[in-house]
Amino acid sequence: MLQDTLDIIIRNKEGFLKGLLVTFQICVIVWLIGLVIGTFIGYFSTIYKILKNIIRTLSFVLSGVPVLVFLFWLHYPAQSLLHISVDPFYTAIFMLSLLNIIAVSEIVNNGVNNLPKQYVEVAKVCGMNSKDTFIKIQFPLIARHILPSLLTAQVNTLHLSLFASLISVEEIFRVSQRIISIEYKPVEVYTALGIFFLIVSLPINGFAIYLKNKYNRRLDEK
Amino acid sequence: MIKAKNLYKSIGSSEILKDINLELKKGEINVLFGPSGSGKTTLCRNLSLLDNPDKGEVEILDHKYSFPQTKKFTKLPYPKISFVYQQLFLWPHLTNEENILLALGKEDNTENKDFKELVDFLEIKDILKRYPNEASIGQKQRVAIARALILNPEFIFFDEITSALDILQTKKIAQLIQQLKAKGMGVLLITHNLDQFKLIADKFIFLHNGTIVENGSFDIFTNPTTKELKTFLQ
Repeated sequence: MLQDTLDIIIRNKEGFLKGLLVTFQICVIVWLIGLVIGTFIGYFSTIYKILKNIIRTLSFVLSGVPVLVFLFWLHYPAQSLLHISVDPFYTAIFMLSLLNIIAVSEIVNNGVNNLPKQYVEVAKVCGMNSKDTFIKIQFPLIARHILPSLLTAQVNTLHLSLFASLISVEEIFRVSQRIISIEYKPVEVYTALGIFFLIVSLPINGFAIYLKNKYNRRLDEK
Repeated sequence: MIKAKNLYKSIGSSEILKDINLELKKGEINVLFGPSGSGKTTLCRNLSLLDNPDKGEVEILDHKYSFPQTKKFTKLPYPKISFVYQQLFLWPHLTNEENILLALGKEDNTENKDFKELVDFLEIKDILKRYPNEASIGQKQRVAIARALILNPEFIFFDEITSALDILQTKKIAQLIQQLKAKGMGVLLITHNLDQFKLIADKFIFLHNGTIVENGSFDIFTNPTTKELKTFLQ
């Protein structure tokens, strides 16, 4: 079976590469948007309670409805109601970014709130200004604490990107389905797909576990 | 000098501090003691302005802070007053050396005279390059003290720092506190370990249910005047 899988990958390498490229494009854009905007929102939601409430409400609503339903709704009824036509690639980017922003902002919010305030107080007592306190104390401590969860959330986003195929985005899953319809070998094609996801996800997850073990030991101090 | 006038503090509906009037002088060792939950840590935090009292006035080194606060304080008393927590709160991502030197603000302060003296006196040379979680509780305690002392504060607050130490280490801390007094530093020490500090302290403040019940020299132990202190000492 492994030989068959390799043969299929080689025969359809162009199609697979194009699909991979689209998947990577989606992921990189969604990761960047989620990490940048989510970090800002997460940090400021510790200061402005209204922001925190908005994120909590959105998270509550979105976690109650499958991503697929939202994607379909955004792609078909919403666009026909608004009389607009948006490339499914951007629809998928919008939906996945929204989910990633919420996930990242919740992780950042928890990270900031869980940092014992005494670490900052000590800096204040030592006469450090707020800029130095943020750069030298708060940021490194919070970053170490939340980095594993952030990485895991990004792997999750990669997996969610598969749903983009269902609104006709030409990413790896849709390409795989098309190859199956030509080759009639679903097991081999899905195995190839699984191997791809393992190659990308496992190192990130492994790194997340490594960071978690490394920094949790250091943070035992508190 | 640190002075508290008619200080009140509540958390939720419970009144933690009630009408606190207190005076701490430079070059004096003050011991704050009392039953658990009597408000010792809250008093310490309010006197050092880590928390704001609800009502009253705190005067720190000729600067008055009135409460309730009507505007943001432009001048805070740090690092002229310093604080060492019971749980220490050494920054876990920095080495012990970085923990001590960070406040000095320069890249390399290892040649700093005060730093060298503190390291020698507190016997922490061997653990400077280690992280806090790689040191024993006694060593961490000494690093936290060094961090508080490196900026030469005029007053220092110790919140039950000897609770996890053995008798020898506690004696060493008592010796250090005497040296701080000799340098003219004012000390406020919260402790349950009264025996160790009875002989070195100048003033004892007994707190009960958020009120200073007795306040004075060693005599309050030989001749307690209130029922609360008598019960506490039994």
